[in-house]
Amino acid sequence: MTPPARLNASASSPCRLRTRFVLRFLKTLVKIKRSTPPPPSPSLSLTSSPEKIGRHSQRIKLAAYSSMARAVGQRRAWSRALMLKLKLSDKRKNRYRWLAARKMKQQKTLRRGCGRILATKRNRSEKGSPSRSCSGVDELRRLVPGGEAMDLGVLLEETAHFVRCLETQVRVMSIIADCFP
Amino acid sequence: MSSRRSRSMQSGSSRITEDQITDLVSKLQRLIPEFRNRRSDKVSASKVLQETCNYIRSLQREVGDLSERLSELLGSLETDSDQASIIRSLLM
Repeated sequence: MTPPARLNASASSPCRLRTRFVLRFLKTLVKIKRSTPPPPSPSLSLTSSPEKIGRHSQRIKLAAYSSMARAVGQRRAWSRALMLKLKLSDKRKNRYRWLAARKMKQQKTLRRGCGRILATKRNRSEKGSPSRSCSGVDELRRLVPGGEAMDLGVLLEETAHFVRCLETQVRVMSIIADCFP
Repeated sequence: MSSRRSRSMQSGSSRITEDQITDLVSKLQRLIPEFRNRRSDKVSASKVLQETCNYIRSLQREVGDLSERLSELLGSLETDSDQASIIRSLLM
């Protein structure tokens, strides 16, 4: 099956979440591509600096998570928390840092749940806390966005949905990556 | 375990029973690829939670690797090539 047919098949399937995610993610990818200045000569494109690739991959990663969160919408606590967190961290890059800092203090619980998603390769060592001696529930609270403020039952439900969405995300991204030779 | 019970006692309006927790944990267990073929009574709840955390971390790592791959591919993508027309046709 040719790759475009494969992607179109997913669009006509009853899996509407996947469709919404695919559409948003592709639109964002095109936007990222357009905002990239074209390399001056073809040979240079192969030797783009690792820093540039790193920045791009971070943008693409954030685009994937935000596309998934927006495709889920307000229906789930984790998607609401993730969207808020991404919006706040986006504001931090603008000049209104004091406002974002104030909001950050209020939303301190959200931060802990999304640290891994926002971490780049450079600061992953500072942010990651690999072996803390806490129970599995605490670890799960840190992984699921907004997990700190949830009851255990809600947390388990949100985790199930979050895992399913992550699997969808990985599947779609690998299909897109396989589209290109 | 005691923290779980005290938490369920503290939440007044939505009291979660142990059965509901067990149901939710078994639902999670069915999602994890490692446990999908095993019988549910052999796996403890803490193991399910631990494996869930590991699975989520591995999925997030995969997302990071795939986005690196996509960024390299995007960089080598010509604006008027076949791939770009594929993407454009999908978005229209």
